[in-house]
Amino acid sequence: MSGSINNFIILFCVIPLAAGLLSVPLVGRSFPSRVIGTLSFASTFLLAVYLLIQGYADNTIYVSYMGSWTAPFGISVVFDNLSGLLLATASAVALGSYIHSYSTNASHIERGYFHPLIQLLMFGVNLSFLTGDIFNLFVSFEIMLMASYALLTIGASKKQMSQAYKYVMLNLLASTIFVIAAGMAYGMLGTLNMADMALIVKTKLASGEGLPVGFTALAVMFLLVFALKGAFFPLWFWLPDTYYTCPISIAGLFGGMLTKVGVYAVVRTFPLIFTQSVADIASVDVNPTRTTILWIIAVAAAFTMFLGVLGAVSQHEVRRILSIHVISQVGYMVFGLAIMTGWALAGCIFYMIQHMVVKCSLFLCCGIMEKHAGSDDLDKLGGLLKRDTLLGVLFFVAAMSLVGLPPLSGFFGKMVIIQEGWNNGLWWLSIIGLATGALTLLSMLKIWSYGYWNPEPKKYPQAAKPENVKSSSRSGYIGIAMLVVLALFLGFGANPVYKFADRAGEQLVSPDAYIMAVLPKERIKLVNPELAAKLYDGIGHDRMSEPLDEEPMIISASYNKEVHP
Amino acid sequence: MTSLILKTAMRLIVPLTLLFAVYMALKGHNEPGGGFIGGLIASVSIALYRMTYGAESFDKLLPIHPRILVFVGLTMAFLVAVFPLLFDRPLLTSYEQYLNLGFGQTVHFVSAAIFDIGVLLVVIGVSVGMIDRLSREVEK
Amino acid sequence: MTVVLAVCVAVTFGVSIYMMLGRELMGLAIGVFLIGHAANLSILAMSGSPVIQHDKAYQTAEFKIPPVLESDQQAKDWSEAQLIKAEHPEQDVVNPLDEMVDPLPQALILTAIVIGFAVMGFLLTLIVLTQRRAKTLDVNELAKMDLPTPSQAH
Repeated sequence: MSGSINNFIILFCVIPLAAGLLSVPLVGRSFPSRVIGTLSFASTFLLAVYLLIQGYADNTIYVSYMGSWTAPFGISVVFDNLSGLLLATASAVALGSYIHSYSTNASHIERGYFHPLIQLLMFGVNLSFLTGDIFNLFVSFEIMLMASYALLTIGASKKQMSQAYKYVMLNLLASTIFVIAAGMAYGMLGTLNMADMALIVKTKLASGEGLPVGFTALAVMFLLVFALKGAFFPLWFWLPDTYYTCPISIAGLFGGMLTKVGVYAVVRTFPLIFTQSVADIASVDVNPTRTTILWIIAVAAAFTMFLGVLGAVSQHEVRRILSIHVISQVGYMVFGLAIMTGWALAGCIFYMIQHMVVKCSLFLCCGIMEKHAGSDDLDKLGGLLKRDTLLGVLFFVAAMSLVGLPPLSGFFGKMVIIQEGWNNGLWWLSIIGLATGALTLLSMLKIWSYGYWNPEPKKYPQAAKPENVKSSSRSGYIGIAMLVVLALFLGFGANPVYKFADRAGEQLVSPDAYIMAVLPKERIKLVNPELAAKLYDGIGHDRMSEPLDEEPMIISASYNKEVHP
Repeated sequence: MTSLILKTAMRLIVPLTLLFAVYMALKGHNEPGGGFIGGLIASVSIALYRMTYGAESFDKLLPIHPRILVFVGLTMAFLVAVFPLLFDRPLLTSYEQYLNLGFGQTVHFVSAAIFDIGVLLVVIGVSVGMIDRLSREVEK
Repeated sequence: MTVVLAVCVAVTFGVSIYMMLGRELMGLAIGVFLIGHAANLSILAMSGSPVIQHDKAYQTAEFKIPPVLESDQQAKDWSEAQLIKAEHPEQDVVNPLDEMVDPLPQALILTAIVIGFAVMGFLLTLIVLTQRRAKTLDVNELAKMDLPTPSQAH
């Protein structure tokens, strides 16, 4: 049974691609394209939730080998708890902002291939969550980036054009470094499959051979690339302006999702490969790369959290506050990474999920606020609580989730990370985290009091009638409400979500399960016979019934020419 | 460009290059080559033709918009890639068969070849469309 | 060969960074394309003969097996040929696999080229649009200029 599920995990990429292709001939006709897009996101969301629950119950990792070429030589696609949680959340966020976009998109944006592009974006994002191969990760990043370049410049207004250069140039440089780093990784380890890299690093550490020369430099190169996508401390300068200029539903999607893809890449590759724990290897005390990288990440986390929130407090436009906030929130995730225990990674993953949902809903709220006032300048906003109570309630719940008031979702993410940091000797980061939380509250209250509580500014009368705005943005409310309900679920149902996240964290910290799921038995035996013996001894009878081959095979694809004349 | 030498040479070069592109695309399964390479060669020859004879004759040579080629190619590649999922195989799995042509000749048929033809169409569509649009912009 | 490639990579990187630091958008574009080529060249320089590193299958850590072979037997033959060659360097053992290069880095490069091609298309379109709106491609002038909005430009 699991065999058939295995092959269907690629549907996360197939569905958006199919929807994108279908909506190409429908460009200009918005209703059918909207139906297709909504169905696509909703179906990937449901599929992700189903597979996540199923995989958790069976305790399996689903793997599919593209074109039947087995790992480590073919491309493998892996669905574990981490991928499942992020896929479900990404689809939900995309669905929310997509429904919101019905009411905010101008017609020239829809004509400019908005629907196919957003499906392509989701194709890239889903592929990067699924892939089990470093180079394929690069490819999926590029697919995602191409779609995001086009979505950023959609409509081609003057601000968008000038911002696009910065974004494109920085990402191009990052891609170049990524290509070189992938080449270096191949040169050092002889493979690009993540599970295989993890296995080889583990073997090298355990055998006393030590890591290859320059391994730390390689890790730093990867960290640089992912940090730029994820807007970590020294590399976040591109972010605020980029999200400031594009249409609001796209800004919401980007603000919620794109930086998390960078964080995801670190969460996936670093505990697995570069900063692999040596806890279960008795002969080695310390992985030197781990020490260095964790130190770098910890410093980056401190600056990202604190400078990000200071930047946000100093701003006076809603969109800028929200986009600079993305940076400070990424800091918490980086903090979780700097601790890199299983529970801290679970906190980091939970925080990523809740932040995607909450940040996107805040951006979408900002879209309706702009409709009321015609601007997102806090001086020109005011009296929104009276004009639009529903929006006020939605915004308040989302903002307080972001701040992390106790029953809401942000609290559970921050609590775990800060507590775990305190217990693992990173008390100074925990203190910075607490201070950042207080400042986050300050900046959110700033929007709240200026925008909602203050009376309408007399100097800037708000032209739009409240009834018109409300009736023209019904789908906007639906989109926001969906995301806010999801955020409330993440808060009140934190316990079940944390079960998934905890399993994901464990899978990352002790990569044996991942290695065993992805790689064929022969490959593990070829590289590390002791580990193969250890892994397959403790396993139930279904895998033990096939004895290990005496002669290690050369693992090529199942494709075999000798069958044919 | 109105050089007579170039125009005369183009009459010979363009069909030959297109033929070479098809050859490269078809032999790609077992040897160096493939849809991407073939598509690039074909689009170079079409772009050369466009440079020599101008935009109007280019429109006659390629009566459909290049983006239709991209769409058709993508759809073809997509369908071939998804097809194995119906038979419980991973995405992109290739179906292969030795077709008997009679007279003791066989052809090694793989469904990946259709995927490759899709890639060929996409590459021709993208590069020719790009060059065409950009040079129209410059000629304006 | 490695030295030649290394020099090529260094020169290409140097030129591309020089171009990117200029004040012209066209130069920037050229720099971007060149840096992609530099990255590809550096992968080519890093690639070598096809081997799996870390092979303990034949208890000879210094000899490594090419990853893509048709059968187990072929791999053994290759390994034995390597042994003979190491023990008797004067003997001329002909091994077709010695002349192979690793196919994977070339596949990586091809993928990177395709992606670079797409990005090039996008960047050129962006530059053409900028030129149409602003009538200049100089970064300093662009920064000073208040560009017309799209509705006026069309």
